Amino acid sequence: MSRYLITGATTAIGEALIRALLSCGDTESILAVGAEQVRRATVEIDGRVRYVRTDLTRERNLRQLLFGPAREHGVEVVIEMASHRGRSATGPRAHALNVLETRAMLRLSEEHPTIRRFVYRSYGEVYDVSNSLPSLIDEAHPLDLRPSAPQWVRDRVEADLGVCTRFGMSDLSIAVLRAAECLAPRSGSQLYDYLGSEVCFRPLGFDPVINLISGEDLGRALALAACSKAQGIFTIPGATTLPLSEIVRRTGRTSVPVPGPLMTPLYRLRRAALGTDFDYAINRGRLHFGGILDGTRARTILGYAPDVSVTFSLE
Amino acid sequence: MLRALLSRELRDRADRIADAAPDGYDCFGGHPRGVEMALALTRPLYDAWFRVDSQGSEHLPAHGAAVIAANHSGTLPFDAMMLHADVVRRSSPPRSPRTVMDRFVPALPFYGTLVARGGGINGTRRNVEHVLESGHLLVVFPEGTKGIGKPFRDRYRLQAWRVGHVELAMRYRVPVIPTAIVGPEEQMPALFELHHVHPFGAPYLPIPLTPIPLPVRYHIRYGAPMALHEDYDGDPRDPEILQDAALRVKARVQALIDEGLAARRGVFR
Repeated sequence: MSRYLITGATTAIGEALIRALLSCGDTESILAVGAEQVRRATVEIDGRVRYVRTDLTRERNLRQLLFGPAREHGVEVVIEMASHRGRSATGPRAHALNVLETRAMLRLSEEHPTIRRFVYRSYGEVYDVSNSLPSLIDEAHPLDLRPSAPQWVRDRVEADLGVCTRFGMSDLSIAVLRAAECLAPRSGSQLYDYLGSEVCFRPLGFDPVINLISGEDLGRALALAACSKAQGIFTIPGATTLPLSEIVRRTGRTSVPVPGPLMTPLYRLRRAALGTDFDYAINRGRLHFGGILDGTRARTILGYAPDVSVTFSLE
Repeated sequence: MLRALLSRELRDRADRIADAAPDGYDCFGGHPRGVEMALALTRPLYDAWFRVDSQGSEHLPAHGAAVIAANHSGTLPFDAMMLHADVVRRSSPPRSPRTVMDRFVPALPFYGTLVARGGGINGTRRNVEHVLESGHLLVVFPEGTKGIGKPFRDRYRLQAWRVGHVELAMRYRVPVIPTAIVGPEEQMPALFELHHVHPFGAPYLPIPLTPIPLPVRYHIRYGAPMALHEDYDGDPRDPEILQDAALRVKARVQALIDEGLAARRGVFR
């Protein structure tokens, strides 16, 4: 399979994925889709890439995209990455992109004459993390299904499960990649925003190890999944595993331990005052107990092994 | 700084463990320098306070996975710390075991992180499976909190013995090393337990007779490895097989305890 459609293509991960696909010899064409007004040259880095700007929250646009340019290109693989990345994007409009668009994209892909494979980029943050659960998170690990979870988490879990429900029921071959956190701008990384402050508070008495994936590795994992026929869920770890205090130090920030109960008000205050994105409620489990994704299945079936360490420089 | 607390031999052991683990932090938060720190922090207890006497360390495998199944006692888990330190000190080449801890331990501020750095792991099934898949030594206490919290009158009488460790040993075809720790039963007898108090998720709050452990002498005895996977032909998930295999391990640990009790010259010697 060598003709691809990528949504969310204007992000750092989208760019890494396009580069990874182009480095595969048999890639014929890539239809890169985004909502942003960008200079075409930044996405169309090769004659085989074409950028399409459209608002995917409207099903009419989605239908037009799939049965217009996608059919013309004979797209065989859809790599779905479109979502609101910021925690502050809430309400029905955010839900429309995060969940409803994914569901509609999958349904229309099933009806499509040329699409054979659907790869969904999900997040390691969909997993529940607590002291009573394994530190090593594999595909069967419980998901964070708390009703009180922020919409940022609930939407991701719902979209992920929405795709997973089609396993074995769809004519498409479907893969869901739950990836470790990618410390990159515009990638939805809560940690990236957390590290944006000169002073980073962390829970007193806890210093969990956190696994991070580089954009290159995530792009490569998605490309491997796109080129494969393997179905199912794959957890995708990165090459960098470090304690939180060390991540803060390497980013050139100052780590200040504070009692756990103070974390929520401190970060709520920061969000209100500075309009930042980091939400302690999303990250409470991780900032206490860590949780590392187990890449055994991705390694044995997709041939993916993390290779590129994360660089700790914030834009 | 803590490295200065180690003897040259222990520093050398810690360095050899670090050389064998070039990847740094593992998925449980363990780190070779954390093992070094654990050795340094436990050294005064190991050498001076509990004066640990260790026998049978030739049974610890030089490589490959194994399950070290030991009795658990003493109100607070000094026995786990001493056993962990003993395996690091006595194994040849030096190996850092992964010691299973109760699920509430990671929720303890400072202590949970310290234990994880030294090689402690949260006792969930996936975690222990990964330890054996990776070829590490796994230390388990099949009595769990029932063992560490048993009344003084039941000292050195093994409590209900769980079967999970024998199932894992048979599934992964690794030996079980029965291990007895004699001494901790007398270190700080529990006066009573507050079962309605659950600090940081602990099952109860023990109130010991003494505020610090008494300087009893520890005697650690490793038994000959038991290749249970060779002894049973059936499905390793069969409850009857598991129960039988677990009782054999329990009997072996009890025999080692009895030998240790008969050989010691007193609680403090």
